[in-house]
Amino acid sequence: MALSCIVALLLSSLAPPGNVAARDVPNDGGSNILVTWTASPDTSLVGYQVLRQAKGGTTWDILTLAGRRATSFVDQAAQNGIKYQYKIIAESNTESAEAPVSGYAVAKPQWFNFDNVPALIGSGILSFILLYFINRARRDRNLFIRRISGLDAVDEALGRATEMGRPTLYVPGLSSINDVATIASLNILGEVAKKTARFGTPLIVPNTDPIVYTVAREIVKESYTSVGRPDAFTQDIVFFVTDVQFAYAAAVDGIMTREKPATNFLIGMFFAESLILAETGAATGAVQIAGTDAVSQLPFFITACDYTLIGEELYAASAYLSREPLLLGGIKGQDYSKVLFVVIIVVGTLLALVAGLPVLKYL
Amino acid sequence: MKKRLPLILVLVTGIFGAVTYFVPHHSIQAVDESVRNDVMRIIAAFSLVLGLGSILQHHFNKIQRKAQNWQYSWITVITIFVTGVIGLFGGIDLAHPGVLPTHIGGFSFHMQTLYMNMMVPLGATMFSMLAFFMASAAYRAFRARSFSATLLLAAAFVLMLGAVPLGRMIFHPLPSFAEWILAVPNTAAKRGINFGIQLGILATSLKILLGVERGWLGGG
Amino acid sequence: MGFWKKLQSIDRRWIYLVIWLVVMLPLIFPFRIKSVATPPVKSLFTYIDTMPEDKALIISVDYTPDTQAELQPMLVALLRHAFAIRRPVGVLAMAVPGLGLGEDAIRQVTAEFNAHAGTKADSIINGRDYVYWGWTTPPITVMLGMGQHIAKVFPIDYYGRQTESMPVMQRLKNYDDAGILVSIAASSMPLSWINLAQTQFGLHLGCGITAVSAADYYPYVNSGQFTGMLAGMKGAAEYEGLLEQCMVKNGMDWHLRGKGTEAMSSQAAAHLAIMAFIIVGNIAYFVTRRRKS
Repeated sequence: MALSCIVALLLSSLAPPGNVAARDVPNDGGSNILVTWTASPDTSLVGYQVLRQAKGGTTWDILTLAGRRATSFVDQAAQNGIKYQYKIIAESNTESAEAPVSGYAVAKPQWFNFDNVPALIGSGILSFILLYFINRARRDRNLFIRRISGLDAVDEALGRATEMGRPTLYVPGLSSINDVATIASLNILGEVAKKTARFGTPLIVPNTDPIVYTVAREIVKESYTSVGRPDAFTQDIVFFVTDVQFAYAAAVDGIMTREKPATNFLIGMFFAESLILAETGAATGAVQIAGTDAVSQLPFFITACDYTLIGEELYAASAYLSREPLLLGGIKGQDYSKVLFVVIIVVGTLLALVAGLPVLKYL
Repeated sequence: MKKRLPLILVLVTGIFGAVTYFVPHHSIQAVDESVRNDVMRIIAAFSLVLGLGSILQHHFNKIQRKAQNWQYSWITVITIFVTGVIGLFGGIDLAHPGVLPTHIGGFSFHMQTLYMNMMVPLGATMFSMLAFFMASAAYRAFRARSFSATLLLAAAFVLMLGAVPLGRMIFHPLPSFAEWILAVPNTAAKRGINFGIQLGILATSLKILLGVERGWLGGG
Repeated sequence: MGFWKKLQSIDRRWIYLVIWLVVMLPLIFPFRIKSVATPPVKSLFTYIDTMPEDKALIISVDYTPDTQAELQPMLVALLRHAFAIRRPVGVLAMAVPGLGLGEDAIRQVTAEFNAHAGTKADSIINGRDYVYWGWTTPPITVMLGMGQHIAKVFPIDYYGRQTESMPVMQRLKNYDDAGILVSIAASSMPLSWINLAQTQFGLHLGCGITAVSAADYYPYVNSGQFTGMLAGMKGAAEYEGLLEQCMVKNGMDWHLRGKGTEAMSSQAAAHLAIMAFIIVGNIAYFVTRRRKS
């Protein structure tokens, strides 16, 4: 008998997990309870069973089978206000070992997520800097921002189109209205549309997103009206083509080769079709001004277009073209924010470098 | 009011969007989810109708005026209707048939066939044009006009040679050097540009929210 | 002077013609370029080649027909490798359009091996040597669920058969039975595999990605999160080269077609053509500039 007990003890070698604890997940909307445990040291371990029981309940519900490296699990199906306790069972291919049950925990929703306080502070500081410079621009109307050659060339490019009697093509990118690059592009479209209305240059704006199409149509219509040329606006100026990437590229290429615009604006978010558009435009002899924040497409625009707005220059464009003091103030604020970030990075890097020095071990 | 109402709407919804990031309570998150899943989807669905209306209006105008290449407008319009009918009534494939039959003997024209045998090859054809365009763009643009242009030219050479086995034959460490260019200076430059872009996004969003940036309204 | 100036502004269509020729001719008159494997490819190959006999290879087909030209050769090479060293194989797709691509590759490779098999034991049999799980959604459920019990995530395979009772599934219950999972993708799916499968289950990962995306993945290869990486057609060609040596060593001198290797001749020729264009263009530029000044 004693011998069989010893044998059984020796055979049951799987160590159970320890320190099973459960608590409400903080900074969330409720229904989440975090269950933690210390791992079983056994090498034959396959994983853990996580079970739950409500207070007053009689059965244990299996929630999940966690992997052997797991030491925590979030129960996302807990009802707010109800007390639960949890059990963890370590499992190998042949046996299992149960840990003592955790204490009770209750899921509660919170009204503020303290994990996002750094983001709030950062946003607050950056917003303060931006608003300070926007406010300063109300008093000081002569804020300097450096020349951006692509934007300086807009008037010249549109003038060229007018002299040659050929249209201007404006491609607002292939992304949706959610994308800030698309909004920046539409801001520029407004300025370009005012100029084409004033010069009497035909404008073509093909769109790939229906919402962007409706917004672009209203922007161009308002721009034409604001310069006293509502009669010059027609439904043919802004139109929807297709939402399929390469079908849109084929359509725009077709417009470029048939209509032969003198000036092409490729401004917004672009993907693999960027070189197809830019190179076709270059082949037709058009002056091309491109701008995107898609970093992977920038090389294609730089090689194939005459002027390229790189990254944030796209966001500065509407301020640059309109010369509105408040918008220029925003650009200044952006630049000073960048300086702040560079200082933080340099200081942080130096601190990390110093902290990693072996000599500190001896101090 | 025409300008003021959209600005107020943008301010209110923008502030609400920011609030949902900091307030995890389910009452706030439920409204946010409803806006994202329901309201925006409904708007997108209606805008699709507007987009379709735009295509049809554009092409019918061309047909009516007998503008240049008006015959292709007929092809576009007919294709839209035929594809729409097949999509709505013809089913996805032979295993999921619709109301209308979409096969004649062994020849089928259901959505899956149209997609795999027309859309995919056409898309691949357009994609493959990049090979030709890269060659012509490289020929035109890679001239040693200045120091930076020469640097670009040299980097392009190293990367192109490093990408083919010939590079290793010419100079043994060349592929490793090409990989280093991608992994170190290229990544560093991309990160720097991304940095500026994210700040630009923050600034533009704030300006739109506060009504400072009004270009999207049209007319200034 | 006229010649060099004309050369600078040559009609694009001559360039397109030359590119078309240098891409087409090597495909019609193929010449072999020996690919020397780079460290990320060698690392992945060696890891798979030296996996214990009871460990399986899992391949996730995370791409669509748009990018199959670059990525399909990788899938075929990995399947050939696993079957050549007789490791169990599990294949799944994270994108619905990828289902057909996975099936194409499996059908091709099993036909190759079965054409040379003398006995049933040597053949590659579905359910015994490999399983094609197919597709299910959402990805997070697949990635986490497979770490616990694969048959629960995929109770039936792509062909509608019960997976639980398959002999290969007795050797492939969860990630613990997998030596490595290779994600072949044109998107950022390999990073999701790191976030979910590797972090929670310690699964070894490899990736096969398009050449354009390679720059984004080097940091993960350098940190060891990816055991190895196949980048673009060149990566596929390098893997095929290593595989050929391995198969010849194991007595399987079958001269199987490797699309990656075949395409390298076209790719190399195209790269050389573009470099030649650039050199000629620069010579023309400097000659005309000198004569102008």
